[in-house]
Amino acid sequence: MTGATIDHMISVTVFLAAILLFISLFNQTIQTAVLYQRHRVLATKCSDVLDNVLLNPGYPLEWGKTNSTPAAFGLQDPEFTQYRLSPFSLMRLQSSTGTPVYFGPTGLYYNNITMGFGDFLLVPYTLAINYSSASKLLGINNTHGFQLTITPTIMVSITETQAENPLILNMKVFGIGFPLPNATVSYCFLKVGEKQGQSHPYYTSFFGRTFTNDAGSAFLTVQDIASEDSYALIAYAHMSGLVGIGYHQRVSGVKRYVIPFVDSFEDKRVLLAHSYDVHNQGPPESAVFYNATFVLLTEDFTLREMPMENSTGKLGKIVYGHGTEKTYHSLTIPTYNPGILVVTYQSSNEYGVVLMPWGISSMAFPVAFGEVPEGKEWVATDVRQVLVNGIAYQAKLSLWSLEGYPVVG
Amino acid sequence: MMRTIEIFLVIMIITGAFIIASLFAVLPSPRQVSPLNLRRLALTTLQTLDVNHDLSQTTFKPTDDPAWGELQIVLSACLPPNIVYNLTVYEASNNEGALYTLKKSISNARSIGIESDAASYLVASSNVTFSVTPEKVGEGGGGGTLYILNCSNANGWWITGYTSQSLAEDLYNLLSPYFQKTIMIQNTAQLAQILNGTSIQDETLQNAVVINTFGEAVPIPSGYYSSSGVGYDDAHGSYALYCYTLGKRVLQYNWTWASIVGYPLYYVGNTGLFPNEQNGWGIYGMRNVGSAGLNAFLRGLDSQAYAYDGTWITGELPGVVYLSNQARYYCNYYGVYPSPYHTATRALPSSITGTYHLNVTTYVFGQVGNWNPGAIYRHPAIINGTTRFKGSLFALGVTRTPDIRLTALGILCDYKPRLYRSEYTAAGTSRLVVLQLGQTGGV
Repeated sequence: MTGATIDHMISVTVFLAAILLFISLFNQTIQTAVLYQRHRVLATKCSDVLDNVLLNPGYPLEWGKTNSTPAAFGLQDPEFTQYRLSPFSLMRLQSSTGTPVYFGPTGLYYNNITMGFGDFLLVPYTLAINYSSASKLLGINNTHGFQLTITPTIMVSITETQAENPLILNMKVFGIGFPLPNATVSYCFLKVGEKQGQSHPYYTSFFGRTFTNDAGSAFLTVQDIASEDSYALIAYAHMSGLVGIGYHQRVSGVKRYVIPFVDSFEDKRVLLAHSYDVHNQGPPESAVFYNATFVLLTEDFTLREMPMENSTGKLGKIVYGHGTEKTYHSLTIPTYNPGILVVTYQSSNEYGVVLMPWGISSMAFPVAFGEVPEGKEWVATDVRQVLVNGIAYQAKLSLWSLEGYPVVG
Repeated sequence: MMRTIEIFLVIMIITGAFIIASLFAVLPSPRQVSPLNLRRLALTTLQTLDVNHDLSQTTFKPTDDPAWGELQIVLSACLPPNIVYNLTVYEASNNEGALYTLKKSISNARSIGIESDAASYLVASSNVTFSVTPEKVGEGGGGGTLYILNCSNANGWWITGYTSQSLAEDLYNLLSPYFQKTIMIQNTAQLAQILNGTSIQDETLQNAVVINTFGEAVPIPSGYYSSSGVGYDDAHGSYALYCYTLGKRVLQYNWTWASIVGYPLYYVGNTGLFPNEQNGWGIYGMRNVGSAGLNAFLRGLDSQAYAYDGTWITGELPGVVYLSNQARYYCNYYGVYPSPYHTATRALPSSITGTYHLNVTTYVFGQVGNWNPGAIYRHPAIINGTTRFKGSLFALGVTRTPDIRLTALGILCDYKPRLYRSEYTAAGTSRLVVLQLGQTGGV
């Protein structure tokens, strides 16, 4: 009798232990499967959100060309179908990488996409669409986090191989880790002319076309350029539907220069400020004289200069720390056709040139919008090839859940 | 003891069940769980490559054409490094047998990997598109040349937001199908050449249409045409005399001179000739002629003697002006649809028809009182005993910025070339492009 009881107790104990163990094992498998399902849903969501952003122009349709906040978020160019993005809507996205710039005379902070000295895109925070607003408009606020990056597919890197007489520039064209031989390169070379004394600089420009060699490089030789001369080179490369852009400038003075700020998309207005006003570098400094022009890419992939009339404010003088004189000037860009604002400047015999894209694609600036995905537990990504005013870009969306799923069960 | 043994048997059975269940419940690999949407990536890649019809053109080229190599390069350049591809082109056949015939396949890997996806894209040869063959102006003999001023050494005025070159390109696309030959006048030297009566590409110089894309400015060649007594009026310090010479040439060669916006011939432009002069508004390479330019041109067109006359003759019309019924009809016929109403601040007075012996042959905009916001004026002349027209001015007195479609519409309204619509019967001219993408690396 005692033996049977002991047998019964042992068997029940072992049975219960075994049952608990197996429940745990089965549960582990089921939980992992549920997690995988959630990750699958996240990947699908990522693809859907990316298409939603890229295939919808938002509302109002032309919100990128206005100063208003959109009621619906989308980046598609309203003049086209499929994956073509508006170069102006992209300009209005608040960058997640650049450090904001404060400009005292307007009292505003500016969203900063700067690609090195002289290549500026500064948009006031009051006009930039922030991550939180976009997230709400997309309907994923508090449920998902995201980062949208839009990077050019074709890069054109320009370096000096010889600094003077003649100046030799190497324009290297490459895709994502792959050079592009036999690509056509259209370029615009702009040399700053030096005028002594208190006057606006002038510039001379010429345009041309060349082809890359087997290594993806094209060389441009320019005569009569001394080492102290300032110039800018803008180059467009294209091959079988892919178009990329590069730019390079050399300046003789980096102490006092012009910094362009977008002031109004609606009025196509840009503020040109003295660099000392932005960097706030102490005692009064010399005035900067400037002379601006606008260059655009035509449909036949050649660069053309669009002359600007005086009323646009193309010529001017900006001062820093001189009492009541104006510390910045405004300039009106004559068109919504994307192009490059080229501002040549002169101050105390220092010369230079700064560039600003009008439409993000005209200088192939990259865009990073949203939160940084590093450190997130499970990030789904998806990629599309897109066109921004004919320039090839890759749009990548990284999406993660904010609802706290673990990676493994 | 029996119960313990039974329990162990049960445990063995459950263990077996778990092992069997685990064998069947294979969890997908992470790549399958969170896949890249390769199908969309493939489709967008094909769309990007075909944005300027480069992909379509390449797929119809012979299989040994270098364009295939370029296609392979751009595919490698635009896809992420961990993506392998296989692009296959099939010819769509309407014959019996296989619907698709393999034409060419290019790839950057021997194998596309375990997981892949593909997108297909149908392209058509450029010669299968439903086509409309227009009658060419001058087919019946005489004329048929379209000159578009595209001078690289001149700047325009009142073409804000455009360059003359971009307008010239748009005009070329719109109008070149309707003319025997379209010549872009690339610089003022070429303009001088045709003013001298010398053709550029063996085209017919007589009876041509010349479109000035420089708005209120007109390019002026340096040298003879800007010299004193030919282009420059010493007495008045004005280049109105050049406009007079232009008018005479228009009459001599029976040209139709088209002014696309604003006050015609208000400035003359040449960046080499006037490097340090500007039009008063900051555009360099330009010199003001004022209203004397148009008056001189009309005198030249009417074979009157040159006289400097700076009278402002255009009028600013209130409100908007509307396309004429004739223009509206031809909008549909030619498929050119500019806005039906515009503002006109440089409308020409109808009195010029009496002063300079002109007939209006086409109204682009309806006449408003004694003003013509847009019309073609032809100068009658007796040729071989018959009254015909010789020399014309097409003036669009609208306010900037220009709508180049109005110019195209006006020319088409006046010449009325017929359209012959063809039927699509071509076969074997569609190709299917399939781009298959796979991922390498990882699990």
